[in-house]
Amino acid sequence: MEGRGPRWTLPGSGRRRRAAVTGLVLAALTGPVAAVSQPASNEGGSPRRVVVMSDLHLGEGRGADGAWSPYEDFRWPDDLRGFLAALADEGGPTDLVLNGDTFELLQASDGACRNDDPALGCSEAEALVRLERVLAAHEAEVAALAAFASAGGNRLVLVPGEHDAALLFPAVGRRAVTAFAAPPGRVSVAREGYWRSADGLIHAEHGHQIEHRADRFSGWPAPFTTGSGPRRLTRPWGQSVVQALYDRYEPRFPVVDNLADEGIGVREALAAAGVEDAGAAAPDLLRFLLFRMSWQQFRMDLDRGDVEPPVWDLARVRAAGPRFLVDSLPDDDRFKSLAERALDAGRLTALMEALGDDALTALCDHRAALRRARRRFERILTQHDPTGPPVAECPRTPETAAPRFEYFWGSRDRVFVRHLEQLADPRPAAFIHGHTHLADYRQGNFTRVEAGRTYVVDGFSPVRGAADPVVVNAGAWQRTATPRQLDDYRRRRGMSEAEVLESLRPEHLPPCYSFVQIDPYQDRPDPPVLRYWRQAADGTWATAPRCGRGIDDGASPP
Amino acid sequence: MPRCVSLFMVLLAGGALAPVAQADDWPEWRGAGRRGVLAETGLVETFPAGGLPAAWRTAVHGGYAGPAVAGGRVFVTDARRPDPRSTAVVERALALDEETGAVLWTHEWETDYAGLQLVYAVGPRATPTVDSDRVYVLGAMGRLFALDAADGTVRWEKDFPADFGAAVPSWGMSGAPLVDGDRLICLVGGEPDAKMMAFDKRTGEEIWRALSSDWEPGYSQPVIIEAGGARQLIAWHPRDISALDPETGEVYWEIRHIVDMGINPATPVHSGRYLFFTSQYGGARMLLLDEDRPGAQVLWEGVGESDPEYGFDFNTLNSVISTPLIHGDHVYGVDGHGVLRALEAATGRRVWETEALIGESANWATAFFVRNGDRYFVNTDAGDLVIARFSPDGYDEVSRTRLIEPTHPYVRRRRSGPAVHWSHPAYANRHVVVRNDEEIVRLSLAQEE
Repeated sequence: MEGRGPRWTLPGSGRRRRAAVTGLVLAALTGPVAAVSQPASNEGGSPRRVVVMSDLHLGEGRGADGAWSPYEDFRWPDDLRGFLAALADEGGPTDLVLNGDTFELLQASDGACRNDDPALGCSEAEALVRLERVLAAHEAEVAALAAFASAGGNRLVLVPGEHDAALLFPAVGRRAVTAFAAPPGRVSVAREGYWRSADGLIHAEHGHQIEHRADRFSGWPAPFTTGSGPRRLTRPWGQSVVQALYDRYEPRFPVVDNLADEGIGVREALAAAGVEDAGAAAPDLLRFLLFRMSWQQFRMDLDRGDVEPPVWDLARVRAAGPRFLVDSLPDDDRFKSLAERALDAGRLTALMEALGDDALTALCDHRAALRRARRRFERILTQHDPTGPPVAECPRTPETAAPRFEYFWGSRDRVFVRHLEQLADPRPAAFIHGHTHLADYRQGNFTRVEAGRTYVVDGFSPVRGAADPVVVNAGAWQRTATPRQLDDYRRRRGMSEAEVLESLRPEHLPPCYSFVQIDPYQDRPDPPVLRYWRQAADGTWATAPRCGRGIDDGASPP
Repeated sequence: MPRCVSLFMVLLAGGALAPVAQADDWPEWRGAGRRGVLAETGLVETFPAGGLPAAWRTAVHGGYAGPAVAGGRVFVTDARRPDPRSTAVVERALALDEETGAVLWTHEWETDYAGLQLVYAVGPRATPTVDSDRVYVLGAMGRLFALDAADGTVRWEKDFPADFGAAVPSWGMSGAPLVDGDRLICLVGGEPDAKMMAFDKRTGEEIWRALSSDWEPGYSQPVIIEAGGARQLIAWHPRDISALDPETGEVYWEIRHIVDMGINPATPVHSGRYLFFTSQYGGARMLLLDEDRPGAQVLWEGVGESDPEYGFDFNTLNSVISTPLIHGDHVYGVDGHGVLRALEAATGRRVWETEALIGESANWATAFFVRNGDRYFVNTDAGDLVIARFSPDGYDEVSRTRLIEPTHPYVRRRRSGPAVHWSHPAYANRHVVVRNDEEIVRLSLAQEE
C-alpha cells in the first residue's frame, strides 16, 4: 500500500530511515535454517488467517492422588477444544502460532533438572522426560491441537519461549512435532526462535528476548552450554532469581503464577507470606521487579509527535545513590518495605552502580508514566493499579521542564525499535509477543485514522506517528488475574492477602483466554486484533473484544 | 462572588465611572452564581422560522471558552497558531462592545500547547470572570491575568506552572476563576498542596492554598454553596469531592470519588439538600448535605464507565462535559453517549431516557442547560438551540433553531457533521452570545413587541 510504509524513528536520536516494505525481497533469515520457514515471497499479502496464542503452560497435570499439581496452570481442555472448534467453524486455512511457553518444561515437582549450578537448566535427555510427562498429562489438549492442525489447510507452529526453550533441543523439538501426529508439514517448531509469515510482514516471538527482559537468554536461539559434557540449557538471571520462589510458594498460593503481568506473583507471595527481609536475594529481586514492567500497557497517543521525552538529570539520579531504586517503587508497592530493609543493610549499592544510563533512563520513564497514570487515575488505559500514591518524577534537566516534554515512553519505544531493527527484512507490519501474561488493554476509544482508514489500536507502534509496525502483547491463553482484580476480590470478601492467595485456585480465575488474530489480506495486514475466548455469565462461550469477567463472577467461585 | 450584580460598575472606555444596571448580565461561567439560571422575562416562546436575528457577528480565533457579558461588554478568549505546524500559539483576551460587536481591546500572550491532547488544543477553556472593573481570564496552559475591564491593562498575572509548579492536565486548565469577596479562588494544581488557591483579587497576593496536587486538578468549576449554616466552596477534583471554607481554605469535609482519567468537566449541581456530580468515567454521585453543619453523605451513586471491561450502566447519568440540572425531584442530563435521561433525585432510579435532544447516540455528546422560568434553553453540540421542558413524564421540546455552526474538532463522525460545538453561550440582556472557532455572534432572544 503506497504511503503506508513505516518511518523508523529512533526516539530521541533524530535518526530516521524509511524502510521500504512493499516489494522488498525477503532477505536471508538469520540463524539456522528453520523447520518452520515459509516460502519466501516478493509480494505482500496472505490468503491465510493467523491466530497467535501464547503461554498455555501445559504442565505436569495431576498427581498420583488425582489432584492437580500446584504447578499446573492449564486445567481447561474443554475450553481449548471449544475454542479450536470455533476457529475451525470460521473456516479458511489458518496458521495457528503457539507463541512460546506452550509447554511448562521449566517447573516440575520431580526436580529432575535441578543441578548445582543455578545458571544451568535441563539437559536434552532430562527435558525429554519432562516433555513426555506433559504430553501424557495433556493428551486431550494435544489431540485437539492435532485435529486442528490436520484439518483443511491449517498449520501449527510451536515457537519456543523461556519455559519451553528445550524445544530447541533437536530431540525435544522432534518429539513435540510427532506428538501431534499430523500430516507432514502441518506441525513444526520455530527453530529460529520466532515465526514469520510467508511475506515476512507478520512476526511472532515469545518476548523474553526483548531488551531489559530478565529472562533473556544469551545465544538465542541456541541457549545451550558449550563446554564439555552433555549440553544443558542455560538460565537467564531473572529465571534463576524468581523460579525458586515460585517453586516454594506455588504449593501454598496456587495462583501466584497466574498473576499478570509476569513475575508480579513473586511480590504478592512474599507479602502474603509475611516475609520481612529478602536477604541477599533482595537486590536481584528488586532489579527483576523494576525491570519487569510491561510498558506497552501505558500506551496512549496524546499528540501527533509534538511532545518530546524529558531528559532526566542522571547526574542527580546517581547522586541519590541506591535510595533512587527504592524511591522508584510507589509507597504502596508490597516489595517496598523489603527494598527499604535491603537499602538499610547496604545491599543495593552494587546494583545502583551497575545500572547504566539506559537502565536509569528506563526507570525514570517508568516512574513518570506511573506517576501520570496515578495522578489522573488512568484505569481505562492501564491494567496496572492506577490508584495509590504517585511515585515522584526523576529530576529533569532544566531545558526539558516545560509541558512539551511529557512523552514518557521514549526508552520503551527505543527498546522495541532496536529489537525490530535486528529482525530480518522485510520489516514486519505486525509484531506479536506474549511472555508477560498481560494482554494489551484494548483501547477501543482511541483510534488512528491514516490514509482514510480508521484503525482501532490494540497495542502500539513504537514509531511515533506511524501506523505500523504495530506491537501487540497477546497475553496468555490461560486464566489470569491482575493484582488489581485480586485486590477488588479481597476487599469485597473482606479477606487478608494470604487468605485470598491460599484459597484461590486457577479455576476460580476469570474464564477468559486472550489471543491475537490477523485475517487474510491482500497487500499489508490490518493491525492485529486482540480477542478473548470468553465464557459469558450465562455459561455460553464466544469470542469477545474484552474479558469482562472478575474473579468471583465466574462459573465456579471458590 | 457577589450574588447581587445590580451594583455592578465598570470603568467605561472613556474613563468615566458610570453606574450600569446589570441585572441581566452574564458575568461568569453559567451566569451569576454559576447556577445556570436566566431570570429575564420577555424572551421568545418559540424561535422564529428564520432563526434568531443576529445583532452582530465578529471574527475570533479558536477556543472553547464561553463568553461573559457585563457592563455593556462581551469578554471572551481565543487562540491562534501563527504556524499551523507548530504547537506555539498566541492566546488572547478580547473585549467587545455588547451592542455592536466592535473589538474594544485585546490582550495577547504567547504560549505553547505541546503537552495538551492536541486534537482538542484549539484554544482556552475557561470562561472569563468579570468583577467590578476587572476581568479575570485563564489560558489553557495556566496563564492567569487580572485585566482592567476598561482597557485590558494587566493589573497582575500568574503563571500556574511557572509560579506554583502546576502540571497542566491533558485537556488544559479549565477552572474559571471564582470571585468571593476580596478573594479570587482558582483551581491551580500547584505544589505543594496548592490544588486550590485564593488570591487577593486586587493584588494577586496569595491568601490561602489547599489540597494536595499529588493528583491532577481536573476540569470542574469551583462553586460556592450555602448549606449546613455555612458558605462552602465545593472543589470537585478527580480524587475527592472537597468542601472548603472559602475564606480560609480549611477543609470542611471530603468524600472520596475517583474519576478515571481525571475527566470531570461537569459543574456540581446544587438544589436544596442535594449536591449532584456526574462524569463519564467516575459515574454519578448524589450527596445529601447536612442541615446543621458543613457535611454530606452519599445518598446514591451510579457506576461510571471507568472500566469498560464491565460494560456501561445506562440506568444512571454519566455525563462527559454537560452539566445536568435538578428540577423539582428529578435530575435531568445528557450522558456520555448523547442520551437525555431523567432520574429520581432521591433514589437515582431511572425514570425515562430519549435521544430526541441530541438526535443520535454519539460518544461525548454534550448539551448545556440554562433555566428560564419553568423552561430551559439548551444548546446542543450539534449547534442547535432548543427550548424545552423537563418533567417526570418526559421531554417536551417546544422549539428548536440553528444557533451556530459547530467547528470544534471531533475524532469520530456524527450524523450532525464532522465537528461539534462544545462552548457554553452567555445569555444576557435578552440575547444569546455564542462563539465557535471562527466567530462570536449575538442573537436576539427578545419577544417581538
